[in-house]
Amino acid sequence: MPPRDLRQITVVTKYELLKYLRGRRLLIIIALIAVISVLGLVVPLITGSGYDPNPQTFTSGILSEVGILVVLCATFFGADAIVSEFEQKTGLLLFPNAVKRHVLVLGKFIASAMVSVGAVALYYAITTIAVVVIDGSIAANTSLSFLYALAYLFGILAVAYFFSAILRSSVYSTVLTFFTFFLILPIIDRVGSSIAHFKPWFSITFASGIVLDILQQPYPVDVVRTAERTFRNTTRTLTVAQYYPSVAQGLAVIFVYFIIGLILALFITKRREM
Amino acid sequence: MTDAIRTENLRKQFGQFEALKDLNLTIEPGVCVGYLGPNGAGKTTTIKILTSLLRPTGGKAFLNGIDVVRNPKEALAGVGAVVETPQLYPQLTPVEILSYLGQLRGLDSNVIRERSVAVLEEVKMSDSAHKRTGEFSTGMKQRVAIAQALLHDPSILILDEPTIGLDPRGMIEVRELIKQLKERDFTIFMSSHLLNEVQEVCDKVAIVDKGTLLVYDTVANLSTVSESRVSLTAVEPITAEQCASVRALPNVRSVKRVDTSELLINVEGGLQEQSDLLDQIKHVGIRVAFYRPAGSAIEDIYLRLVPEEEY
Repeated sequence: MPPRDLRQITVVTKYELLKYLRGRRLLIIIALIAVISVLGLVVPLITGSGYDPNPQTFTSGILSEVGILVVLCATFFGADAIVSEFEQKTGLLLFPNAVKRHVLVLGKFIASAMVSVGAVALYYAITTIAVVVIDGSIAANTSLSFLYALAYLFGILAVAYFFSAILRSSVYSTVLTFFTFFLILPIIDRVGSSIAHFKPWFSITFASGIVLDILQQPYPVDVVRTAERTFRNTTRTLTVAQYYPSVAQGLAVIFVYFIIGLILALFITKRREM
Repeated sequence: MTDAIRTENLRKQFGQFEALKDLNLTIEPGVCVGYLGPNGAGKTTTIKILTSLLRPTGGKAFLNGIDVVRNPKEALAGVGAVVETPQLYPQLTPVEILSYLGQLRGLDSNVIRERSVAVLEEVKMSDSAHKRTGEFSTGMKQRVAIAQALLHDPSILILDEPTIGLDPRGMIEVRELIKQLKERDFTIFMSSHLLNEVQEVCDKVAIVDKGTLLVYDTVANLSTVSESRVSLTAVEPITAEQCASVRALPNVRSVKRVDTSELLINVEGGLQEQSDLLDQIKHVGIRVAFYRPAGSAIEDIYLRLVPEEEY
């Protein structure tokens, strides 16, 4: 008899991790983390601006690229995880085994999450060490920021898996994942805040603001300012808004993306034919 | 005894195209069945439904009595399959791929180690056992795919065009391997478009065309009911009178002149009738240089049942 599902999930995870460890993508991500970290530490010295004496601001500055790192991890380790089995025909080897499709998806997802968590953890570790060495103290809530970054990672990784389950090409899935979280949703966030003056609370990229906002003391709140401006005898009311997700709201939105993304990925992969 | 493979009114539709139409097929344990048909006949569709890669539009499919659609995990537990030419994970070696699939199938690590050595030896891949598969040729990948299908010593082996992508030596080796597996009481369900391969290897033949099963019988029965074709080459040119005399001999259905000293004769019956005909041809005054079968019984049946497709 084949082993229980849980045992099979660990087997899938183990070999997916082995594939990642031997692939080029992990090396690219590690190199990227090194570059981002070095730039964050070297640029202030080169420009002569020096390091911010406030550990909160300093940490927030170095960690400002965590969003792009998370998006790259989801793109590299999630976007083609399912579709490649169909497109590259490795599924012909894997699927005719005594193993349920959802076991394969969960095993792969855990492996993608583990390797991505490792990458984000490395980024936070480098940052924390640098801040401690330079400032002598660690920014408050750095650990919370790390946890929120992981939550954001799981949320978009689940959506990346959904794209991977539904699309027929690795390229489409990879491009869609990257541009959804790097371009499309951030544009909606900005248009919503700056032009349409609504709070894009439903967007996971907006919700991901909690990752860096938690480092600010006190936690920022929404600011909506209106002012009247007269131009060529016409008076107009201008509204300037800065919206911030609350921690609870941000986590709730991320959780919804995670659950819906993963459930859809599981359902579609189970139904998908080869 | 439970049937090894059974399909009941199995149907599969892709949009307007009906790939399988109420396929009913029962394969007893320990039998090697060749599954023949032209391209698009429904061979791979049947195999993909049996291996849970496709869902049927209607009907049922059972492996060892277990419904593949309802319980794929249980149904596939005793099955080894090679569907089309599967690709391998380029980051892994054959040994690692076997270990991965062996663990998924619940094999003990010692068993995986021993079986991996044995099956890689069987498919002649021992020398490449620890090389990453990224640079492997199609033939090498096909050998590893066959090895993984044998790893857990399954009771049913489902092979979709198992010799595709292999060089002539590889094809012969795989045929020999399948013959050995037959002796070990595997149930083998093998699709192929190589008619001689099926005749050489299989006990039974199922011919499918346009999603419909046309015939399913033993190779021996099909050979008996079939008419056979022989090629005759004479030492001297064959005269028109001699050709007419051959045409008039018992059991001769038709005679076609290939060149001045060669005839192609369709004979009704099997080996006995062919032997009798040779004696009679000698009495006609033809000095026979070569007398050999032209085409196989399965080939004749296939050509008779499967109409020529116009593209």
